[in-house]
Amino acid sequence: MTQPALRLAGVSRRFGALQAVRDVSFDVMPGERRAVLGPNGAGKTTLFNTICGDYPPTAGSIALFGEDITGLRPHRRTRMGIGRTYQTSLLFNGLTVLDNLFIAVRGLRPNRFSFLRPARGDAGLAKARELAERMRLSHLLGTEVLNLSHGQRRQLEVGMALAGDPRLLMLDEPAAGLSPGDRPELLRLLRELPRTLTLVLIEHDMDIALPAADIVTVMKDGEVVVEATPDRIAQDPVVQAIYLGGGH
Amino acid sequence: MRNTILWSLLGLVALLMLPWALPFVLPANEAAFWTANILGRALVFGIIAMSLTFLATYGGFISLAQMMVAGIAGYTLAILVDGAVPHILGGFGYGAAIPLGLLAATLMGLLVGAISVRTRDIYLLMITLALAMGVFRFIETNIAWFNGYEGIRNVVGPTLFGQDFRNPLVFYHIALATAVLLYAGILYLVRTPFGLVLQGIRDNPRRVAALGYSVGLHRIAAFGVAGFIAGCGGILSTIYNIGISPGSIGLGATVNVLIMSVIGGLGHPVGAFIGSLIYTVFDTFAATIYDRDRFNTLIGVVFLAIVLVSPDGAIGIGARLRRLLARRP
Repeated sequence: MTQPALRLAGVSRRFGALQAVRDVSFDVMPGERRAVLGPNGAGKTTLFNTICGDYPPTAGSIALFGEDITGLRPHRRTRMGIGRTYQTSLLFNGLTVLDNLFIAVRGLRPNRFSFLRPARGDAGLAKARELAERMRLSHLLGTEVLNLSHGQRRQLEVGMALAGDPRLLMLDEPAAGLSPGDRPELLRLLRELPRTLTLVLIEHDMDIALPAADIVTVMKDGEVVVEATPDRIAQDPVVQAIYLGGGH
Repeated sequence: MRNTILWSLLGLVALLMLPWALPFVLPANEAAFWTANILGRALVFGIIAMSLTFLATYGGFISLAQMMVAGIAGYTLAILVDGAVPHILGGFGYGAAIPLGLLAATLMGLLVGAISVRTRDIYLLMITLALAMGVFRFIETNIAWFNGYEGIRNVVGPTLFGQDFRNPLVFYHIALATAVLLYAGILYLVRTPFGLVLQGIRDNPRRVAALGYSVGLHRIAAFGVAGFIAGCGGILSTIYNIGISPGSIGLGATVNVLIMSVIGGLGHPVGAFIGSLIYTVFDTFAATIYDRDRFNTLIGVVFLAIVLVSPDGAIGIGARLRRLLARRP
């Protein structure tokens, strides 16, 4: 039997009296696109940050391709193959698009600490240009990130998360703050990602989450309430109650 | 790009020729005075201030320990070199004592970086000030190694190609060459992976860590680089002053380096030299302009005026003027 790319077993996270995530268990298979949906305060981002290692779970375990990563620090998880984006863009505003991508590429290479300029044919630099192309940012290579539009910043975020050739890509509300015009572009980028990559997408916008996902997990009050395919999710009475019946 | 290189080369040639051009606009004795007492001194101060602006511009760190680090280079030179008075250790010529001084400053820079690695903003300012004052007090009260408050004299400098290092013209050109090499070195360094990550730490340390980098290692290395730059200034300053005493690394000197950097502008390393030139001119002519004893008032007024008109220092004024001129039809 194939090993799951990500296995959550009874994961809980408590902040003092607040039980933000409660006994969450699910498997994400390699190549799968998994969307985690839910209203604000459902515990999606807490679960996301627990998987990425920003804080350890208070109970349960997390395994990446069969290896237990429950106690590992974020940069160790990055080196083991988790790429991530942030809900609010965490980019290097004073640097150009190419520099941002180059730093992201070099971060996982052995020569990441170097006092020598990269040569013209440097593999890291070539990879950064290739990522810019994939993210439709080639025409902005020399532009300072400070001058990018919100949509372009989101594209760059995804590009940087892909820089280390992750096996598991975690996207935290990639459509947050995007204009309606920028959404199809993001959706197209997500659909173009190779199937060798496993994708976990946290989103509260169904229009982005449903077309991009194979399986949808719905959370409410820190717990998983429904797990189904996108076409069934829209009809599910529990989901309808959450989204239409005053779940917010 | 080609225009920038051309202008930089023209500027460099102008600076090289400056001591010979000055007699055309000033009486001969005043021209010599400018070369030795203003331009040479401004370059030395500028190098030390550039170690601060390098950290501030690219790392977002303001360190008040840079004058102390420069002093460590100066004291190492004075302790080791033959001919210094009093004789403390000796046994070394300038060819060996100068690199050892630079090594000591680099190590002190690394130590300052390691001690302050977890602090930012005002806390970084305070911890580096505390370190600077701690070393200053130690040196001032230690007779055996540093000769206490009297310091060490007679560090005359080497002779180069039969020329005395302290000959104003020779000194000016050596200080200028050092400044240009260090400046070019910084411009090279900030485009390397180390320099880019340093700027990444300035913008977003959390993301740098998430990308797999060690933020602490890069921070400490940046303080080491700044230590080397400050050390170059410290060596030149010690030879310029024919020795070194604790006063040159005290609170006043520490704050002066910060004032020069802020007057010039913390947004670009070159601001250090503009700031040091303005500072040196006022320091030298305070007596003529107003009153020698009122130098602090005078430089304080200049400081306030520049900061109020242009919060990003003198280089900010230049950028504003350029924008204003470009807007005119």
